[in-house]
Amino acid sequence: MKSPAFSYYQAKDLADAINIKKSDDDSIILAGGQSLLPALNMRLSSPSVLIDIGSINELKKIKVEGSYLIMGAMCSHSQIMNNKEVNEKLPILNKLLAQVAHPAIRNKGTHGGSIAYGDPAAELPAFAVLVNAEIILSGPNGERTVSAKEFYKGLFETAINSDEILTSVKYPINQNGMKLFFDEVTRRHGDYAMAGLVGSIKQNNKINEEINLVFFGTGDRPNEAPKTCEYLLKNEYNYSDIKDILKNDIDFASDVSSSSDMKAHLSAILVGRMMKELN
Amino acid sequence: MSNLNKTTISMIINNENYDDLTVETRQHLGDFLRDLGFKGTHLGCEQGACGACNVLVDGETVRSCLMLAVQANGKKITTVEGLNSSEMEIVKDCFVKNNAMQCGFCSSGMLMTTYEIIKSKRKHSREEIREMISGNYCRCTGYQAIVDAVEDSLNKINVGM
Repeated sequence: MKSPAFSYYQAKDLADAINIKKSDDDSIILAGGQSLLPALNMRLSSPSVLIDIGSINELKKIKVEGSYLIMGAMCSHSQIMNNKEVNEKLPILNKLLAQVAHPAIRNKGTHGGSIAYGDPAAELPAFAVLVNAEIILSGPNGERTVSAKEFYKGLFETAINSDEILTSVKYPINQNGMKLFFDEVTRRHGDYAMAGLVGSIKQNNKINEEINLVFFGTGDRPNEAPKTCEYLLKNEYNYSDIKDILKNDIDFASDVSSSSDMKAHLSAILVGRMMKELN
Repeated sequence: MSNLNKTTISMIINNENYDDLTVETRQHLGDFLRDLGFKGTHLGCEQGACGACNVLVDGETVRSCLMLAVQANGKKITTVEGLNSSEMEIVKDCFVKNNAMQCGFCSSGMLMTTYEIIKSKRKHSREEIREMISGNYCRCTGYQAIVDAVEDSLNKINVGM
C-alpha cells in the first residue's frame, strides 16, 4: 500500500501548471487527491510528476455570474456545502455533497477533481450531466468549454486533452421551473452508491411536461435514460415496466457491490421515489 | 523543475516547529508523522476508507494517508497527541467512561472526528452522530458506546446550549 516514486511540482499559477503538463505526457494533476492517492497507494497509477494545483487561489472561488453559479476547480466539497450562495441558488448540491464520502474526505476532495476524474459511481458528474453544466478547460491554446453531456466518453474517459486542466464548472441557476431530485442507495453512508439517481421534472398545471433522469453507479459513465423519461411522460409509474425500459436505456454493469439486475432493480425503485416526491 | 524524488519541508506539529526535514515526495503524511514518532496516528487501510489516520491540517480533519507529506509543507498539523484543549480532555474522559474503545485502533481517528463534531458548535442527534462517524471504522464496539461517548461529550461541553 505504498505509492510508487514520482516527482512533485507545486504549480505557482495556472499558466505554470499548463506549461508543466504540456512538457510531460506522464504527469498528472493533483487536485484534492482523495481518489488519486488511493490509486497511487494501490499502484494503479504511476505518474512521472504530480502537478499540485492546490496553491492556485484563483481556482478556489465560488462566483455567481448572470444566470450561472461558477465553481472553481479547487473548491473543496466542504467549502461548497458551507457557501451561502450555493445553498440559496442550488440547494440540492448540499444534499448531494452530504453523501459524498465523509467530512475528512470532503475537506480535501475538490469539485473539479470529482468532475474531471469521471468516476461513474460519483454523484457530481451525474448532476453536471443532468443540468448540462459547462465545463471549462484551459490549455496551451487558451480556454474552451465542453458541455457536461459531451464530456463523459467512457469509463474514466473524458473530453480533457492531455495538455489541458479543468479550471471551473458553470451551473445554470435558473432551472426553468424544474424541480430537482437526488437519492441513492449505499451500503454505508458516504460509500459509493450501488445505484443513484439525479432527476428533474417540469410541470404545467400538475401535468409533467419534461422529465430527465441521470443514473450513477450503474454503468461506465453517468447514464441518461431517454426511453424511460418518454414512458413516464405518458404513463403512470409502474415498477416492472420501468425496470424493463431502464434495461433498454442503460447497459447496467455489475460491480463488487451488486449485480447488473440488482442495479436495474434499485434504479427502478429510485425512479419510483422520485415520481412520488416530485409529483 | 526538480526531478528529485526527495524534497525538504517544514511544518508545525502539535505547536512545535519541525524545520527542514527531508522526505520522499511519495511519502504520505501518515507515514511521515509516524516516522517522526507520532505513533498515535494509526494506519489501517491506506486508501481512505477506515478513518484511523485522521489528523487535523490547519484545523480541519483530513485522512493523513490521502495527503502527501509535501502537501503539508508550511501547514499546522495536530495529531491525537496534540488534542489537549480542555474540551478534548472532556471528550477523552467521556470515551473512557463510556467504554468507547476496546482495542483502541480506531480511537485516535474517532477523537479527530469528534473534534470536528464539537467544532460545529451545534447539537447532534444520535442519527447525526452516526452519520458523522460513518467515515471511521470500529471493529470492536458496534459503535453504540462510541455514539454514547460523543453524545455525552456534547452534553458535558454544553454544545449548542
